[in-house]
Amino acid sequence: MTKAIAVWAIARADFLERVRRYSFLLTVAFALYLGYLATTGKLMLRVGNMQGIFNSAWIGGLLSLVASAFISLAGFYFVKNTIERDRRTGVGQIIAATPVSKFTYLLGKVVSNFTVLGLMVVILAASGIVMQLVRGEDRHIDLWKLLAPFLLLALPAMAVVAALAVLFEAIPFLRGGLGNIVYLCVWIAGLSLPLAANTHALDLVGMFVVADSAINAAHLSFQNSGFQFDLGYFDYPLSTFRWEGITWTAEMVISRVIWLGFSLGLVALSAILFDRFDPSRGRLPRERQKITPIGVPERHIASTQVTATTLTPLAVKQAHSRLPGILIAELRLMLKGQKWWWYLVATGLVVASAAVPSAEARGMVLAFAWLWPVLLWSSMGIRETRDQTYQLIFSAPHPIARQLPAAWMAGVVVALLTGCGFGFRLLLGGNLKGLMAWAIGLLFIPTLALSLGVWSGTGKPFEVLYSLLCYVGPLHAIPQFDFMGSAPATAATPYPLIYLIATCVLAFAALLGRKRQLKS
Amino acid sequence: MRLLVENLSKEYHGNVRALSEVHLALGPGVLGLLGPNGAGKSTLMRILATITQPSSGRVLWNDSEIAGHPEPLRAVLGYLPQDFGVYNALEFLEYLAAVKGIEAGAARNRIRELLELVNLTEAIKRPLGGYSGGMRQRIGIAQALLNDPEVLIVDEPTAGLDPEERVRFRNLLSELSGERIVILSTHIVSDVEAVATRIAILVHGQLIANDVPEALLALVSGKVWEVVVSSAELPALRLKHLVSSTAHRSDGVHARVVADAAPQNAARSLDPSLEDAYLFALGRQRNKANGGAA
Repeated sequence: MTKAIAVWAIARADFLERVRRYSFLLTVAFALYLGYLATTGKLMLRVGNMQGIFNSAWIGGLLSLVASAFISLAGFYFVKNTIERDRRTGVGQIIAATPVSKFTYLLGKVVSNFTVLGLMVVILAASGIVMQLVRGEDRHIDLWKLLAPFLLLALPAMAVVAALAVLFEAIPFLRGGLGNIVYLCVWIAGLSLPLAANTHALDLVGMFVVADSAINAAHLSFQNSGFQFDLGYFDYPLSTFRWEGITWTAEMVISRVIWLGFSLGLVALSAILFDRFDPSRGRLPRERQKITPIGVPERHIASTQVTATTLTPLAVKQAHSRLPGILIAELRLMLKGQKWWWYLVATGLVVASAAVPSAEARGMVLAFAWLWPVLLWSSMGIRETRDQTYQLIFSAPHPIARQLPAAWMAGVVVALLTGCGFGFRLLLGGNLKGLMAWAIGLLFIPTLALSLGVWSGTGKPFEVLYSLLCYVGPLHAIPQFDFMGSAPATAATPYPLIYLIATCVLAFAALLGRKRQLKS
Repeated sequence: MRLLVENLSKEYHGNVRALSEVHLALGPGVLGLLGPNGAGKSTLMRILATITQPSSGRVLWNDSEIAGHPEPLRAVLGYLPQDFGVYNALEFLEYLAAVKGIEAGAARNRIRELLELVNLTEAIKRPLGGYSGGMRQRIGIAQALLNDPEVLIVDEPTAGLDPEERVRFRNLLSELSGERIVILSTHIVSDVEAVATRIAILVHGQLIANDVPEALLALVSGKVWEVVVSSAELPALRLKHLVSSTAHRSDGVHARVVADAAPQNAARSLDPSLEDAYLFALGRQRNKANGGAA
């Protein structure tokens, strides 16, 4: 009983803390936006060349899959900060000194995560009723058919996402940017593997549950059904069919309940790996880093013994800080702490992106070469707030005219160094259009990072958006998203120009964001 | 009620030693743990608060080792870390009461009492984000007392407080000491001078003193002098002697010097303060580390 009260208290406190934050409004807005996309037909579920009549069953199936598939991505990043907050505020150390067990604490956090994600699902479900009335194809609202998919498909998926977010926070190397990228890979694999392998066992989203039933109703076979989500409009009309919803069997329900058990297993695993806020189990605590080892004398009685202290006068007082000097300092800061193997992989990718014979393959290598420094770029624009150096940086001369451009240029230098193999090959082949597209990508990446960093104050949006862009664009050769000109055909399209304009807009946004920071 | 620290050592990654062979035996009363910044005080506090595991040695609570079984100590422990954030005092206290396993009805009464004790009843109504450093520390001490702890650990509680808040906080600690073990870690000597029944000095992870205040004062008895020098002579005096404080007066600078013999013929002998004793102990330790060279 006491444990249940503790779980409830932890979840309640955490949830209330979140509700008060501005970012919570974003989670609500995101859920509403998904509902809007589905209502207006921009996000649709397709079975071959057909879609269901918008009755309660179809809307329930569509929106629950939207919730499972998309909230499982964005929602993860929204909720993956709960332990970090306790760590940062120092409350974690107070909790660590109480009798509460690691499992109880983490379960409370998972419940809080689940409540936030569940609320997004509820918003989406509510928008389903509005959607049915707006579409007007079938005005009879059948609450069970509409809500059952949310209850049995979306919510178990949210429970797993809630537990995964806590697991990622419990594992030291997955807490930060690397974890954000790893989760993106997990999410992509989680969506694509069950369909590719045609295995129901890994189907967290519940795609098969809806697909099997809907395909039956459409009188198609699974192989040629083409059951999928689509974003955007179709230039040809889809025929419709009537789907009366999922006939829930005990086996189906059990398969979904198993996911709840799985999320509890994840909590247990997290409890094993969680350090209970012991700073000595991670990196060296900050205050220890400057300690002189025992035996080395230190003048710790500064007030008692004084030698005549004189500072060498500056020969020339700098009225303006030099941009090259700041650029080098920013670059050193950006590359600080990188291990030798990081440089080795980066060098290998540079060589490969120049040496691989096939142009398509070189493009793929470039995507990886520019994905490799993602964690360097994601610290752009956020370091000042993250390290609490903003008062020092912003009070230095010309924080906008010198420091911001230097930070941006450091990002460009990193892009240049890691992507130079590909550029060199284009130059050698005299492919000037391709070179231009590549150069635009080179400018676009750090500008996107800087702008998102300055406005969000965290590296998370860049890490997720950029990795997703790389996955959708360069790695799948979709020209609209090929911002780096990795595919040979991209250079001939208008997209590089669009990304150039986007770069200018983002640069301006970064400038405005920094000005806003200076005023606040 | 007995907290025993035996041969406690802690090494962080990279072979940085934070604590070295620390021994302490604690009973009811206030232990003032003094030491310069980076001495290992916070590490020792975290080990005693069951947050960090030692590299070697052990901590015994009523003869039971806490490393494998921290729950008995946690059940009677109140911990106020160096820094923590609070959003809403009442919710924060209710939350921690539940985490500490206090039944809801009892928690409500307890919280009301504690808010009165730390003089925060009115401040509860304050708009969000309106807590000063002193109020935050008072909320901190309130949360530490929620479970009526037998062991109360407070780490650098007065850092960032104004003089009035510091005095108020010290008085509160003094009132609370009664039948508890209170461990007060600080680098501000005046904080412990008022309340500590025992003082330990930690330097570079080593315990260089652990005694009652009178014994520490006896170390510098007859070794504290006041000399009057000109401002120009002061640097030379500081180079030669341990100067614990100075004050500018119309006849020159009045310097408080800790030395075995009178530094000048005109030097006046003074009653030693704990600050003198602390600086003397640090100086002695430094000389030892330098191989005896003054």
